[in-house]
Amino acid sequence: MINKLLLRLVMLPSALWQSMGADVVQLRAILQVRLTMDDRKPMSIGRQQKKGRKSYSMVSVFMYCVLGCFYMFPLLAVGDRILSLTMYFSLFLTIMTLMLLTDFSSVLFDARDKYILFPRPVNDRTLVLGRLLHVFVYLFRIIVPMSVPGWIVLGLRDGWKSALLFPLPVLLLVCMVLFFVNGIYMLVLKLVKPEKFKDVINYFQVLASVVFFACVYLLPRFFDSEHTHDFNILNYPWVRYTPSYWLALCWSWIGYPVALAGTAVLSALAVVCPVVCLYVLIRWLSPAFSRRIAGIDAVDVAESKAPGIKREAPGKFYQKLAYAFNRSDDARAGFMIAWLQSSRSRAFRMRVYPTFAFIPMYFVYLLTENHTSFTHAMLHLADRPKHLFLLYTSSFVMITALSYLTMSDQYKAAWVYYATPVRVPGKIMIGAFKAIWIKYFLPFFLLIATFVLYVWGLRVISDVVLALVNVTLFVSCIARLSHRQLPFSTMEQMKDRGGRILKSFLVMLIPFTLGIGHYFSLNLLWLKMLFLVLSAILLWLVADSYGNTSWENMLQSEIE
Amino acid sequence: MEPIITVRGLKKSYGDKVVLKDINLDIYPGKIIGYIGPNGAGKSTTVKILTGIIQDYEGQVMVSGKNLRDNILDVKSKVGYIPELAELYDLLTPREYLSFIGKLYHLHDDIIEERSRKMLESFGLSDNIDQRMDSFSKGMKQKVLITSGLLHNPTIVIMDEPLSGLDANAVILVKELLQALKQEGKTIFYCSHMMDVVEKVSDRIVLINNGSIIADGTIDELRQNNADTLEQIFSRLTSSGNQVQRADDLAAAMNDRVS
Repeated sequence: MINKLLLRLVMLPSALWQSMGADVVQLRAILQVRLTMDDRKPMSIGRQQKKGRKSYSMVSVFMYCVLGCFYMFPLLAVGDRILSLTMYFSLFLTIMTLMLLTDFSSVLFDARDKYILFPRPVNDRTLVLGRLLHVFVYLFRIIVPMSVPGWIVLGLRDGWKSALLFPLPVLLLVCMVLFFVNGIYMLVLKLVKPEKFKDVINYFQVLASVVFFACVYLLPRFFDSEHTHDFNILNYPWVRYTPSYWLALCWSWIGYPVALAGTAVLSALAVVCPVVCLYVLIRWLSPAFSRRIAGIDAVDVAESKAPGIKREAPGKFYQKLAYAFNRSDDARAGFMIAWLQSSRSRAFRMRVYPTFAFIPMYFVYLLTENHTSFTHAMLHLADRPKHLFLLYTSSFVMITALSYLTMSDQYKAAWVYYATPVRVPGKIMIGAFKAIWIKYFLPFFLLIATFVLYVWGLRVISDVVLALVNVTLFVSCIARLSHRQLPFSTMEQMKDRGGRILKSFLVMLIPFTLGIGHYFSLNLLWLKMLFLVLSAILLWLVADSYGNTSWENMLQSEIE
Repeated sequence: MEPIITVRGLKKSYGDKVVLKDINLDIYPGKIIGYIGPNGAGKSTTVKILTGIIQDYEGQVMVSGKNLRDNILDVKSKVGYIPELAELYDLLTPREYLSFIGKLYHLHDDIIEERSRKMLESFGLSDNIDQRMDSFSKGMKQKVLITSGLLHNPTIVIMDEPLSGLDANAVILVKELLQALKQEGKTIFYCSHMMDVVEKVSDRIVLINNGSIIADGTIDELRQNNADTLEQIFSRLTSSGNQVQRADDLAAAMNDRVS
């Protein structure tokens, strides 16, 4: 429904498109197909959707609306309207840019274009226009719901003038975002080899999810603390060089005071800059861009003798580790595949890497719980036993890594486990578990442990050791109960099944019990030691049971 | 001579759909068996049963005198499987992938290393041994897959459309390889749609349609008259209609006329 409406909207000036040299019938067909495909794409954050495709549009509208609510906080909390709007537009600009960078790469680099559209009699202008209008519709669908909360706040607080003005800077902002994104793409394409391009985009995706997380958790907290009201734009004179400030200056047209003397004139830049940007974009960047994009998928296998391709000697670090930590060949195979595949699979990195950032962020969130400032909270950190919390939350990394360890787009390649003489699949599983533990969890835990020892002193070293054992115990319980599957062998959709909810709930009781136990033994060293011994024994038993998962056990857990 | 593979009363169904009805086969060592049939005839299912990937079937499969059901691991270590459609973990390099596969067959690292190097060299891939396979062409992946299926020196080689994606030179190479493997006494179970290749390389051809074997013998035995090619035999036995008429209908539909 929305699609049809939007399609009609962008095709309204079809006479104009025609005069620009586009074939209107083809243009409409291309857009229609692209919009339909957009609806069937999974959301950028989180899981792939399965059913209820029709409701997807509504769901995403709602999500964008909620996201919009989070960055309207400066509008509520900061007194100076120009400053608050600068903050608002900065957030808007950042988030939009990141979203476009990540979500849009799939639109721009749809390899199918090469096979579906390029061989047909479609002229270049139709193709370029099809792409641009698609971008426009795409942005329209994001920006409208995202800006609604801010719009309402402005309308309610400042009256109709402010509300009436609002759409103009937002529109200008879209042009800037388009320019930024294209510019960044061009830059990345220039600096990075085509085959690495998608990896770089992948890191943007990781960055984007971290920024979203930060917005949701930290922004309300930040604007809620008392000192934000005393913000003074005079302390930040450099703000005059930022595009979001220029956009905010539009409000000086309707009489809002400008604190930074002599900058009101910069509001002209808010209009001039996007127009120039757009011109540059259409005139130069777009064609160059299309040419470079066309090259992306045409990645040939690098010339064999080319310098830079390192010849790998046998006995690499991970192989040595595989031998050191595993006794059977199957476990070694599991270790090696998990080690290699986890750092190369985009999907895996995309899901697991942000967790590394979430934990410290979540910690900051909890530290500033009582609306104290971060510095104040840090000063008094050592007074409270918060280190336990920090040590135990490190398990999130392992939980996330574990749940994506069994999944892969290439799950079909898992036929090898079934066609080779694998007696006990559990051996492969435990090997993979160890690889993930050593590669992702241990370094992260050591980092946290270093921080903990630095803040709380050496006296908590027993807590660090106990936490390490307990967390490992807990994650191996999860592995034993919910992940009795071979590494990279299942489709993503297989994950959400009813019985798992109850299981996950039961699993979550384990860290709770362990944590409570640890908390009570904080001041009793002998109890802690006893606890440590018991946990270690239990860990050994659980790991042994996981490592002995038979084919029957595996099938059984699949049925469950 | 004792057959190396004996299949008796093999049946398999998915829900209500019966895929294999009653397959009986004796395969002798050192022979190349061409296993052909139209799409959906049950070829891949047979292959998956023989390789131990599908284990819930009715009937009996004996490999080297051992019951497949009871000796699945023994059988798997004797069999080399080369599937169609290069399904492999292509984020790895050939060296890493082969090392992973070799470990699953409990091969020693030095042996894996030496065999992979030599085999890839023969395929002309020695310079790509440390490159990630996601940039490989389909044919290159297929070569790695063939290597992975032969790495553990299997007695029985089961190939499902092994030539897909390979260029003409590689096809010649694989055809020669089949003969070389046969000379070494290995048994080859060769599934394919490429009739000309099957006709040339196979000692015996088994034709399956709708889950049953409808023809079984050497190419000479299958021929009704000397002029028949395997393609014609295949068409005569498996097609319900006249292919020439169908092609005419297709061409007519394009021009909006009645043929």
